[in-house]
Amino acid sequence: MSRILPTRPLFTLAALLAVAPGAYAAANDGTMAPVKGGASQVHITLTGDNGGTCIVHQTVAKAGPVTFIVTNKTATAINEVELLSGNRIVGEKENLAPGLPTTSLTLTLGGGAYQIYCPGATKELQAFTVTGQAAPQATGSTAALLTAGTQGYAAYVNSVTDAMLTATNRLKADIDAGDLAKARAEYPLARPFYERIEADVDGFVMPGFKATDNAGNLDYLVDMRQSALDPKVGWHGQHAIERDLFQNGKITDQTKQLAAELQKNVELLDKVVRTLTYKPEDLANGAADLLEEVQSTKITGEEEAFSHFDLIDFAGNVEGAEQAFAYLAPGMTKIDPDLTARVNAEFAKVDAMLDTYRDPSVPGGFKMYTAELKASDGAKLSKAIQALQEPLSKVGAKVATVS
Amino acid sequence: MPRDKLGAESPDIHVSRRGLLVRAAVGTLTASVSASAALTAAHATGVDTASGGDIVDLTQGHAFYGNAQQAGISTSPQRFTFYMTFDLTSPLRSDLQVLLARWSAAIAQLMKGETIGQVEPKGDSQVGFDTGEALNLGPASLTVTVGLGPKVFTDTYGLADKKPALMRALIQLPSDALVAGISGGDLSVQACADDPQVAYHAVRDLARIAKDSGTAATRWTVMGFGRASAGKGQATPRNLLGFKDGTRNIRDDAEFEKFVWVKGGPAWQRYGSYQVVRKIQMHIENWDTDRVSDQNNVFGRHKVSGAPLTGTHEFDTPDFHKRDAKGDPVIPFTAHMRLAAHETHGGIKILRRGYNYTDGINQFGLLDAGLLFLSYQNDPAHFETLQSSLGASDALNEYISHIGSGIFFVPPAPQEGSYLAEGMFD
Repeated sequence: MSRILPTRPLFTLAALLAVAPGAYAAANDGTMAPVKGGASQVHITLTGDNGGTCIVHQTVAKAGPVTFIVTNKTATAINEVELLSGNRIVGEKENLAPGLPTTSLTLTLGGGAYQIYCPGATKELQAFTVTGQAAPQATGSTAALLTAGTQGYAAYVNSVTDAMLTATNRLKADIDAGDLAKARAEYPLARPFYERIEADVDGFVMPGFKATDNAGNLDYLVDMRQSALDPKVGWHGQHAIERDLFQNGKITDQTKQLAAELQKNVELLDKVVRTLTYKPEDLANGAADLLEEVQSTKITGEEEAFSHFDLIDFAGNVEGAEQAFAYLAPGMTKIDPDLTARVNAEFAKVDAMLDTYRDPSVPGGFKMYTAELKASDGAKLSKAIQALQEPLSKVGAKVATVS
Repeated sequence: MPRDKLGAESPDIHVSRRGLLVRAAVGTLTASVSASAALTAAHATGVDTASGGDIVDLTQGHAFYGNAQQAGISTSPQRFTFYMTFDLTSPLRSDLQVLLARWSAAIAQLMKGETIGQVEPKGDSQVGFDTGEALNLGPASLTVTVGLGPKVFTDTYGLADKKPALMRALIQLPSDALVAGISGGDLSVQACADDPQVAYHAVRDLARIAKDSGTAATRWTVMGFGRASAGKGQATPRNLLGFKDGTRNIRDDAEFEKFVWVKGGPAWQRYGSYQVVRKIQMHIENWDTDRVSDQNNVFGRHKVSGAPLTGTHEFDTPDFHKRDAKGDPVIPFTAHMRLAAHETHGGIKILRRGYNYTDGINQFGLLDAGLLFLSYQNDPAHFETLQSSLGASDALNEYISHIGSGIFFVPPAPQEGSYLAEGMFD
């Protein structure tokens, strides 16, 4: 040993690293990434130790091309590695299951402090340093695209409530005239607007009311269903009108009163949404919430229990979610093109499936969601939405981390 | 939210969580040691003192006779339950009386791990009396708790004047989406055990006696796995939403005396309790795609630690007044924990003894699962008060539906030589 050490110390160190990398992995020990083929080589190993351990073998690299070589040996709990600069995702590798071949990602990095993020690891964040010249000032283009998206989305929401107010006024006019047939045809035309944007006003509390008081909750007053009845506040809004038109089959003074109240609340809603501003994650989360609505109330047929226009609401929720995502898509494509493509593909599948339920002869344009259709097609509809929910639920985290 | 994950505080959170786990484990041991000193009978009642009651010993059993209250209420929750309600099918008072007596004798044997009759009778053409599937499985800490529904206390059975003072149907509660077929019942049986087959066997054979005597027929049932409430000395379990359930549950004797046991009325009612049962469906797939920050806000707690959003440890007292930088309450006004808190309702508490359940996959291809919520209280209005505010504005309502409901009076335990609610027939 004394003969070898002085002559070949570097090889000894390299051999040690190669044989037992874990021994050097615990801390940011400043191990410099070797350069091969012009790119710094950073190895990352994921293991199942301690519930999930992310070993970064080299914690310092020279500015320029850096290749991250990721191997998941045994970590079932970690399937993603990201390189972060501040809160911005610079690059990432996903679907890192144990047993899959080693994958790599090459990024051109400027000097500065970075972090390697292994979601699910015992230690999720580890410092990573790039020495040398700083990268040119980041353009911030991803953030700018997302911000532009939120502004575009705000305009979309405004346009939806404008249209909702127009349709509500028509419904009220039919009800005031006592024209049951016209009111029944108008009802489904007035419905889908709220379904497109309900995630944005969910739980909106009017001034002077407590958050727990449904009497001041605009979402309750516009869209509540029998299953969510608060006996203290009573039944209000679109579905109380639906009950009168489709179950009771007559327009009473009470129906007229409900319609007048609805019109007043939709006017208020139209004003309120103009004051709302959105962060990119609000769009993503709102889209996810709309799909939850599809699952919990449309596929079950609970939403339109008397009129069976549930598929119109279904399409409304999907459209609202799709619009929200579309406004994020330009920024999302830069952050994670694969996820963006997957969400878009799942939206396309749901849209194509919905097309098969279109029926121009029915007011609102979709087949009635009868008990028979629910029994035969409910599971199919649910599965299509589930396939979309999973990838969409990952979008919020992606866009929220862009600074 | 990833912003939380990536924030500067993130490493600290992980360090403190690890520290918390160690402290919690030490705390449980300490509590158990002092508890074992106080409870010399702990071994006999099946409490494993070294583990805080969380290690299963299938040889342990509970006594049916002789206690003031029926077992299965203050008993530390076992791992599984099989809950069933029955419709009375006989109008005869004597049939009801005989059924309660036969059930009592059978339950006493079942809780000892015995069969309630021959499994394999000698006569070739005879049917077995005990169905036999729990043979040799041991007592497994079985408790069977019987409740009397509203119909018992009617003129049909000449028992209208025996109705416990606060027994009545529950009021209509906000957001109730009750399904008739999984609600109500004239008798209830809650069988809990550390082996699901032992609990199943008990209910199956009691149902057989009911049918055999022509007195009662099965109505609805829930098979529960994974206790969802903590008993004395037990670590707080999790519900199927992944959150710790029952952190602030009733645990000490003084609170049982104050909130659970009926103290007044005739002797046969004392140390009885009112059982409220709810079948609460969870919209699992939706919940699973919800961001964790929203999940935490829905409950008002952190998912992993169970700590209130204003604290760092599970048992930290929540600060419902605390506001964030924007002036919003840290624990939202619509958070489940705030609306369920005794602070919100003038100090009212109920004993929760819930279990998770699954009915497989529903017609829409979704997981059909949720919480079999069981509560015990000495006034049904206490449950109604809590559920009124939860049903009206709980953020959790987006993810759950109350689909089943029932109310029962659980009489005290009989003494040996007697049977359940004997005093009711005097």
